Amino acid sequence: MADSQIPHLKALLGGRRGGLSRGRGRGRGRGGFGASHGEHEAIVDDAVRGTDQDAAGSRVSCVELGYLDDPYAKLFATRPSTRRLPLLNRGSYVRTSAIDLLIDRFLTTSPSSPKQIISLGAGTDTRYFRLRDKYPNTHILYHEIDFPMNTAAKLISIHQHAQLHTKLTESTFNIVPTQTSYYAPSYNLHSFDLRALATSTAETPPPHLPNLDRSIPTLILSEMCLVYLPVTTVSAIMSTFLNHYLSPSTPASLILYEPILPQDAFGRTMISNLATRNIHLPTLHAYPELGDQRARLRQYGLTDGSRAADNHFIWKEWVSEGEKERVAGLEMLDELEELDLLLRHYCVAWGWRDGGANGVFSTAWRDVGEQDGG
Amino acid sequence: MSIGGSDLDRAITQLRACRPIPENQVRELCYKARELLIEEGNVVGVDAPVTICGDIHGQFHDLMELFRVGGDVPDTNYLFMGDFVDRGFYSLESFLLLLCLKVRYPDRITLIRGNHESRQITTVYGFYDECLRKYGSANVWRYCCEVFDYLALGALVTGAATSLTPTDGPIAENINIDIPDVDCDIEIETLNAQGEIMYRYARNSDSQSSAASQANSNPASSSPIAPPTPSLAGVTGTGATSSANGSTRNDTGAILCVHGGLSPLIDTIDKIRLLDRKQEVPHEGAMCDLLWSDPDEIDGWGLSPRGAGFLFGADIVKCFNHKNDLSLIARAHQLVMEGFKEMFESTIVTVWSAPNYCYRCGNVAAILELGEDGSNGGFVRRSNGDRGGGGGGWVLGSNAGPNGTGENRRLSSVLGDSMQRTRDGPGRRYRVFEAAPQDSRGMPAKKPVADYFL
Repeated sequence: MADSQIPHLKALLGGRRGGLSRGRGRGRGRGGFGASHGEHEAIVDDAVRGTDQDAAGSRVSCVELGYLDDPYAKLFATRPSTRRLPLLNRGSYVRTSAIDLLIDRFLTTSPSSPKQIISLGAGTDTRYFRLRDKYPNTHILYHEIDFPMNTAAKLISIHQHAQLHTKLTESTFNIVPTQTSYYAPSYNLHSFDLRALATSTAETPPPHLPNLDRSIPTLILSEMCLVYLPVTTVSAIMSTFLNHYLSPSTPASLILYEPILPQDAFGRTMISNLATRNIHLPTLHAYPELGDQRARLRQYGLTDGSRAADNHFIWKEWVSEGEKERVAGLEMLDELEELDLLLRHYCVAWGWRDGGANGVFSTAWRDVGEQDGG
Repeated sequence: MSIGGSDLDRAITQLRACRPIPENQVRELCYKARELLIEEGNVVGVDAPVTICGDIHGQFHDLMELFRVGGDVPDTNYLFMGDFVDRGFYSLESFLLLLCLKVRYPDRITLIRGNHESRQITTVYGFYDECLRKYGSANVWRYCCEVFDYLALGALVTGAATSLTPTDGPIAENINIDIPDVDCDIEIETLNAQGEIMYRYARNSDSQSSAASQANSNPASSSPIAPPTPSLAGVTGTGATSSANGSTRNDTGAILCVHGGLSPLIDTIDKIRLLDRKQEVPHEGAMCDLLWSDPDEIDGWGLSPRGAGFLFGADIVKCFNHKNDLSLIARAHQLVMEGFKEMFESTIVTVWSAPNYCYRCGNVAAILELGEDGSNGGFVRRSNGDRGGGGGGWVLGSNAGPNGTGENRRLSSVLGDSMQRTRDGPGRRYRVFEAAPQDSRGMPAKKPVADYFL
């Protein structure tokens, strides 16, 4: 007979085997800062591959249950999907739709002018393909940066599915099996460790990013990516993007999706739970509240606007009543108090520089409400 | 194989070690449990003293901690208000242990149904998968679900004392409120897992107000403890509402225990008794509401964001308590970070008994002890008679909800003064505890893994 060694559903939901994820939990890729300790590298890479696939599975769960409309999610998932708990589906929904809203406003402001998006630690994210469908006539120059293991896997998925690679090129999509980067006029997959941007000097300049445009309005997206790096490293990375890759006068913005409130009971438990998996979130301690997130954006030079709202607020204020009703009707959700706690501990923060007033970001996000206080 | 007598004790021993019992024993156990439960009414009568517990959710090691803090069965009488299963790692072991204890000591332990004791919910929230994984088939899950259908929908506790016999425990460190003298009527006491006094609230004493105000009391919560007037005494029918410890004439109303809350279809407890409960929890209707509803700071009834049951306000609770001669409704169902939460001038309390819920929430848990009033003729105090029992007393939550004086005024205008003359509530001792230490789980390979958005 089975004994108590058999793991519980929740353990499987997490999709983690063993405790060697070393800084990478489930979720979207967490940026191209790869393993650095030789002997662990293979194991870490394996764990990361697993977590990345698990992220894809989370997205599929949301899509299959009707939370999100994303025909591409299942194309990046190589494992059969596991139904996630309603609370997690709801959280994923809020996160994705919040970022979608900010990006939609950006792309629909002066729709005829070209726009650039740089997604850090994009993992199996499908956003480029969804945007292509939604804005077929908008000139979008899209970049994803992740470490080679993730970008290679992504290229293989793209290669396998015509639905994906026909979005990238009219001609034949050719890659070699070991390929980790891909460059095209609208979609670019860069494979390198983001930390390289923090350690660059005059002698060792940061990696060349093909097709990056120095001067068109640029939105940088970090969904649970920069949070894993030390505060000073993140500042240096941002400076490299905002002053080296982009001309200092280029309108630019950063959207962060990160946990907050590390000091209350839920936050402390989160930190200790993640620590047992060797996951540490340095910037969480540095920017514990919404106000700290806003101040941080200004420190990066994004001084024309800096806003933040937690996901609880976003669900309440950004999601229309009709849509709330639709989403609430998808699954019976019994974990209301827990959902509240969870949503209050994640935030979206967004800041920009564009000369203010009639700048592209100032215009795009003028009416996007943020949360008071914090 | 029969599961009577010593077999049952063996099963209890095995389950206490968090090891599942064989499928044939589960079948036998569930059969016996059904025979027992079918005899219970929809609302089980329970005599104080009793310890009331909220959600467990398969957190087996924390259930063991609960027994350590609250006393073991059968030394302590327990009333569990449902949600034994789902979410945690050990729903199976937790529920089967409780069921074994129920069969072994039917008068010492009462189990009522929570909204998770349902086929539909357990297939989403883990218990079904756990059974499948641990037995390789859904048989055990099916046996358990058949038991769920027979669980009572509520319990009515009578004979509870209106004040507590003070514990002789030490005062916890870092407590900077006045602890009222033990000679006062103790209405509320909060103890930590070591039995140290964290909070004590006395009725009708000089020290109570300072203790109350310093424990962030609010006007609405303190209003019921205004000095007794003849009319107040008259309503309670005892004339002894301010009596000292040891009165045998304390008369608190009964305490209704239910997993979720009230239903717009139910205005008397007798109507609960008339329901046909032996079925899967329906998606709507009175039975569903009792298991799904939540109190909320609203007037009257509201739609529940859970998609089942309703929200109900203070006016509903006070009306219901008055009409049914209740002094308190005890319910579970909602996570509260402090383990318990009294609302609506202590006419309803939420008790939550799953610490660090889902290994993620960081909350503490609580259980609620009600003492006996000594008027149960011939009742023999058990070996743990030091818990509860004794005096007379009243009410107030150390963490009462944000209800203001406005509610009080509104009620008196809507319901008339007589509605405010609620019965004296029982003396309430909350024992607050944290999650069992990690090492006690003895499962390094199965460290709880809580999900976050990473």
